Amino acid sequence: MLAPDLAWARARTVTDSVGRRVPLPARVERVYAAGPPASILLFALAPERLIGWTSPFRPAERPFVPERYAELPTLGRLTGRGNTANVEVVIGAKPDLIFDYGTVSPTLASLADRVQEQTGIPYLLIDGAFDRIPEAFRLLGDIVGAGEQALAWSNYSARTLDEIRARVARVPEGRRPRVYYGRGPNGLQTGLAGSINMETLERVGAVNVAAELGRGGLVQVSIEQVLNWSPDVIVTTDPNFFASVWRDPSWQSLPAVRERRVHLAPGLPFGWIDFPPSINRLIGLHWLGRILHPQVFTEPLRPIVRDFYARAYHQSPSDAQLGALLAQEKPPGS
Amino acid sequence: MKLEARNLGYGYRGHVVGRGANLGLSAGEVVCILGPNGGGKTTLFRTLLGLIPPIEGQVLIEGMDLHASPRATIARLVGYVPQAHLGYFPFSVQDVVLMGRTAHLSPFAVPSRRDRELAAAAIERVGLAHLVDAVYTRISGGERQLALIARALAQATPLLVMDEPTASLDFGNQVHVLETVAKLAGEGIGVLISTHDPDQTFQCADRVVLVHRGSVTDIGPPEEGLDATRLRELYGIEVQISTVEVAGRPRRVCIPAAVGKQSAIFSRE
Amino acid sequence: MAIALAVFGLGCLVVLAFAVGRFPVSPGDFAKVIWDWLSGGTSEVPATVQTVILNVRGPRILAAIVVGAALAGAGAAYQSLFRNPLVSPDILGVSSGAALGAVLGIFFSLDVVFIQGLAFIGGLAAVATAYFIASRMRGHDPILVLVLAGVVIGALLGAGVALIKYLADPYNQLPAITYWLLGSLAAATRADFLSVLPAAAIGIAVLWLLRWRISVLALGDDEAASVGVETGRIRVAVIAAATLMTAAVVSISGIIGWVGLLIPHFARLMVGPDFTRLFPVTALLGAAFMLSVDTVARTAGRIELPLGVLTAVIGTPLFLWLLATARRSWQ
Repeated sequence: MLAPDLAWARARTVTDSVGRRVPLPARVERVYAAGPPASILLFALAPERLIGWTSPFRPAERPFVPERYAELPTLGRLTGRGNTANVEVVIGAKPDLIFDYGTVSPTLASLADRVQEQTGIPYLLIDGAFDRIPEAFRLLGDIVGAGEQALAWSNYSARTLDEIRARVARVPEGRRPRVYYGRGPNGLQTGLAGSINMETLERVGAVNVAAELGRGGLVQVSIEQVLNWSPDVIVTTDPNFFASVWRDPSWQSLPAVRERRVHLAPGLPFGWIDFPPSINRLIGLHWLGRILHPQVFTEPLRPIVRDFYARAYHQSPSDAQLGALLAQEKPPGS
Repeated sequence: MKLEARNLGYGYRGHVVGRGANLGLSAGEVVCILGPNGGGKTTLFRTLLGLIPPIEGQVLIEGMDLHASPRATIARLVGYVPQAHLGYFPFSVQDVVLMGRTAHLSPFAVPSRRDRELAAAAIERVGLAHLVDAVYTRISGGERQLALIARALAQATPLLVMDEPTASLDFGNQVHVLETVAKLAGEGIGVLISTHDPDQTFQCADRVVLVHRGSVTDIGPPEEGLDATRLRELYGIEVQISTVEVAGRPRRVCIPAAVGKQSAIFSRE
Repeated sequence: MAIALAVFGLGCLVVLAFAVGRFPVSPGDFAKVIWDWLSGGTSEVPATVQTVILNVRGPRILAAIVVGAALAGAGAAYQSLFRNPLVSPDILGVSSGAALGAVLGIFFSLDVVFIQGLAFIGGLAAVATAYFIASRMRGHDPILVLVLAGVVIGALLGAGVALIKYLADPYNQLPAITYWLLGSLAAATRADFLSVLPAAAIGIAVLWLLRWRISVLALGDDEAASVGVETGRIRVAVIAAATLMTAAVVSISGIIGWVGLLIPHFARLMVGPDFTRLFPVTALLGAAFMLSVDTVARTAGRIELPLGVLTAVIGTPLFLWLLATARRSWQ
């Protein structure tokens, strides 16, 4: 039952990533992105359509996006991963449509149907698979009427993915480093083979040491297990763990730590390699490439970062900001 | 050794159960607190033991204010035998009796061999030697009561306070307990015992204290002070107090007058 | 005697625990490392192997022993104190308080040291609050109001934990929170062990010194007082000691249930309710149990299994079996 005031002309129908045929208004100007990955996708493509974020920016993150966008209101999440949005607030914000971007499943499809029925606002789902980022941009561009930008993004992201793939292919199997990705404050959470957390790493030709435990999602391991794996490189997203790894005698006994091949992924304004699982990870591919295969990723990173940030976050970082972003990965004292 | 209540008002916060109580217990005598159930005997006892504070007046032990004295001091002077209850954990009789020795232990000490010997002696004294390893929660009510008496004996105090020690015991065990009370007094221990049965006062009491509707009255030896009028006031029933000869000695007994079988032998008169 | 047997059993478990793990260590290397460590010599065994044995397994085994002994000992003390064999150390809210502290630490992205510190403080604060509330309620059975205050505080703090989980970032913080709440010693370091040792030792020492009085407390307040036990003071001391021990170990291990509830039962079925015998046996059994469970947690599956789940899954059938075959009853 559609709400009476949503009586605009049903100009067209779009099929979303799960095959739902959703009627859309002729003009889409206000879009509610239902989760963090969706927000980032839309912000990159057509920031003026974004009516709000799912959670507020932290102080350290704000300087990396233009203030007028950082100031947009916080509306909460309306996804399958637990909702914090008040549905009435969402309706009150008068979006022309709602969309979510990420793993697609029948559960999420039924949730989308429910929200759509309850609010009368069209709700679309876009597949967040890493390799289908170019398609995602095209679909979203079609939906919100930002065809030009969508084309530019589709080309950029496809080029990036192809280039990374090609370069990685030049590294023989035997020379691909074994990588341990440690998450959490004690660095003992990691992703199994195929988990969404490992997508970036897997595309850069890293050999996930945890893959021997099978396929799956996020798991907890022990330090003894990591010692047994003896990875060549350790990558983390947790600054506390990164700081502590240099002091901890157990971690110190790892060759990767002794050779200072431990890297903290930059994360401002959004993480570069793991979460949120959206297009923010494209820049992570370049960063990881240089860490893991410096012999095939030879161009300087800074111009690429500047270019990506300008496109994705609509603000090129200053030299100081850039320096700070990339300096984080260096162990203390070097 | 003397335990005294002077002008004692007792009860709980906001609820006075009794006032103006004056009574005393000396070594070697048996004092019976007589009164109907619900009359406040247990509250009086708890106040006399220092477990609850007096509302007014004082409880003195050897002249010292009981309520102001440390627990350990009181525990070496007055032992408590409560009504036998089930207990929460399956301690052995020996464990239960041994706990009486706590009064003589320093805060971090555990019972020594001597303590165990004294506990064993107390168990023997009440006739429970055959149950020394039995589980307290599995023996009969009468045996539990005797175990609690043994515990108080192990505590080796000059004074004992017993709260209705014959309640829920069978006839034989009731007598056995009263005999033990008399024996203890004979050995020089002062015993304060509460009961609702006037006959028990005739059996063992040197003095009787009536507790009824908030008033506490020391009426002296039961043979002199306890008469039918008093008992009518106390219980609201008619009784006849007679003297009978038992084993060559006169004994007072109390018989309810209203209840009795109309037997063929008597009705022919 | 039961205690000697328990110590011997624990010793065997320690040796076994040292010998197994993800990292392959040959018995020869193991013996050499221990010998070198004991005799103070330098070892030709590779450094990583030494690290695994001395820095990884060693602290983890010691931590498991302390955690198990502390939780079980505190449980036994509380069961005597509250005269109820169904009481666990959490009854006054220490676990909920520690959980809230740790979860807040994770939510604010603090260092592990602060997360542990907040957990410790949270546990102490929760019990102190429950005790304070109970002491203000006059005219009721002191044990009952204490338990009620603990339940209320526990529920309130549990709601706090739930709220933080709700607000947490689902990609980053929420998994960390979930893992902490399930309990694990995967990250136990030597520093962790040394930091909990003082608090746990003090708690155990206090309970040991007061063991006879705690036993007597099981008689009930009136009777215990009449034989000379200062019931109010002993109660405070027991609660303080048990809380100190529990908060300390929960801060490094996360929430581990069942140990404090079940192990005292096992011990009581073995040696009876007298706390002077019960306490050392409970502590040893708890240590052995926790060590066994942790060893299983780190070797049985492909991944680390959470301790909180394992203690319930292993403990409950064991307990049912024991109940069915025991001669003595627990009541």
